[in-house]
Amino acid sequence: MKTESSHNATSYTITCRMNHEAAALERLCQVVRIRGFRIAKMAVDTADGALDIALTIQGTRPVAMLQSQLEKLHTVAEVKLAAPVAAAASRIA
Amino acid sequence: MNGAQHILDAFHRHNIQTVFGYPGGCIMPLYDALVDDVRVEHVLCRHEQGCALAADGYARASGKLGVCIATSGPGATNLITGVANAHRDSIPMLVITGQVPSALIGTDAFQETDVLGMTLGIVKHSYLIESAAEIPGILEEAMDLAQSGRPGPVWIDIPKDILLEDVTAAPMNTQAQPNDTCPDLESAIALLRTARKPLLYSGGGISLAHAEESFRAFAECSAMPAVVTLKGIGNSGKHSAHNLGMLGMHGSRAANRAVDECDLLLVIGARLDDRATGKLDGFAPNARTIHIDADAAEFNKLRSADVALRGDLNTILGELTRALRETPLVINDWRKQCQAWRTTGGFQAADNEEPLAPITGPAFISQLSRTAPDDTIIACDVGQHQMWVAQHYQFDHPRHHLTSGGLGTMGFGLPAAIGAQFANRESTVINVTGDGSFMMNAQELATIRRYNLPVKLIIMDNQCLGMVRQQQELFYNNRESQINLDDNPDFVAMARAFDIPALKIERTDQVRRGIETILAYSGPMLLHVAIAREENVWPIVKPGGSNKEMIDETRRTAADKKEMTA
Repeated sequence: MKTESSHNATSYTITCRMNHEAAALERLCQVVRIRGFRIAKMAVDTADGALDIALTIQGTRPVAMLQSQLEKLHTVAEVKLAAPVAAAASRIA
Repeated sequence: MNGAQHILDAFHRHNIQTVFGYPGGCIMPLYDALVDDVRVEHVLCRHEQGCALAADGYARASGKLGVCIATSGPGATNLITGVANAHRDSIPMLVITGQVPSALIGTDAFQETDVLGMTLGIVKHSYLIESAAEIPGILEEAMDLAQSGRPGPVWIDIPKDILLEDVTAAPMNTQAQPNDTCPDLESAIALLRTARKPLLYSGGGISLAHAEESFRAFAECSAMPAVVTLKGIGNSGKHSAHNLGMLGMHGSRAANRAVDECDLLLVIGARLDDRATGKLDGFAPNARTIHIDADAAEFNKLRSADVALRGDLNTILGELTRALRETPLVINDWRKQCQAWRTTGGFQAADNEEPLAPITGPAFISQLSRTAPDDTIIACDVGQHQMWVAQHYQFDHPRHHLTSGGLGTMGFGLPAAIGAQFANRESTVINVTGDGSFMMNAQELATIRRYNLPVKLIIMDNQCLGMVRQQQELFYNNRESQINLDDNPDFVAMARAFDIPALKIERTDQVRRGIETILAYSGPMLLHVAIAREENVWPIVKPGGSNKEMIDETRRTAADKKEMTA
């Protein structure tokens, strides 16, 4: 089923560095979901006790709002937002 | 010293004297350590939700960290509503739960739940401790985190075996350096100086930042007309000439009118919640916005800010006050206009002069406000009585008004009053509740009795879920659905079963004596106040509607009624 939001969703790429601890990825994904975005792609690497995460996300809300919410997480050290990729001709199921 | 003993030792070092909890299997090592530790007063509530809400009330009333403790599984899940309540209102809280032993995690062991996973969305941060060596550092970090910046609950889940292990690591020093640098205020001051109709809009962030005095100094110096959110009630004190009262869905007509007409909103410690703003498109349509908060994530979330300032509210308010003292605002016409609105559009609670008439909610709360001592703490529940308190009780300090603003938790008031009484042993503490809310945590009457707390309980009983009934009447064509509570227990007999004296009043001429009787009594006492089932809270804005479209019974017409249900 396509949702209304999926038709107008924009894709963004966010990179994030956070502490490698219990439930780190769940915490990150929970914020992405509740703030109105869907994860289309996710890559995770570990280095020096930290997680480096690259997310491709899609949503209709201002992505700066998501960025500021992710930056609030206690174990997140850095969030970088790349320019929007393109309007997603969404095929989100 | 084992992990459990270390936790109690850390409480002592951080001057945490009172904690609220309920024992169980996986938290037993901590309760065993409590037997030999007289430095921490443990308050045994009768349900874990009561523990969390009492810790919340303790924190709201005192400004200190609230602490609650429970066991794994159902102990932890029962805490969740109380912790979510604290999260939504940014209350500093430390939550400690026992977890099944490390080797059993993930095996579906008895009383195992994934506490870390299920609570991610309702905490500022959370930890699952994996070794005893982590305990000192995580405890210090958690206590600091819960109280710094924008406060919130921090949850530590500790497996039972780790509570029993020896702790050898030295405590980490994680005290955050105070950040009192002030952001650049030039743009904000320039906007204030050019505004002709500026309006001060404050919320719960003032007391969370312990900035009550700075705020009052600024409010007095600027003499700006002011509105408050539900959680900001008391910010201006009860004698402020410029305070137009609460805005929003059940706000005063004066407050909502001022918001509609202002040309600058100075938002301090508030998050522009939907209950306050109503439909955003129609909210303060002519105003530019200065937004000052401890949490940058609140900026531009719901309304764009022309100037956004993140930082310590005491520092920022001090600088703004200094600037306005040098050159005061020239807004006399606007002040006069707002004064006129205040006179005609404030909350009115006419006393009923007919002695045998039924008691009305607003008149009762007004009488309570006139009779209770100035330092009285009112812990509300959720519903019509909550709005009558917000509208008609005159609070002199925000910490005197404990209300579940964000989550709207029925059952909050009674345990919150218990927490507030532990935080303020000499103050009068009153739980004003409804018949629906009271029954959600009535088991805590046993806690009041056990500790002989002089908490006063006032049940405003309309034999229904009044706020739901009101909205069904107004917006659902009067189709009542599952709101009837006319089979309530006899509340007086119920209180007496807990050895708490009680009395019932139902006529206007009994109000004064009823209030005076419970206030004069040295111990806990319950006042059962029968009110009319059909009484409504006025004004009201239809959910999702604009604050300009306030409905007030005195102004309702048949056409209004038809339109409302359309």
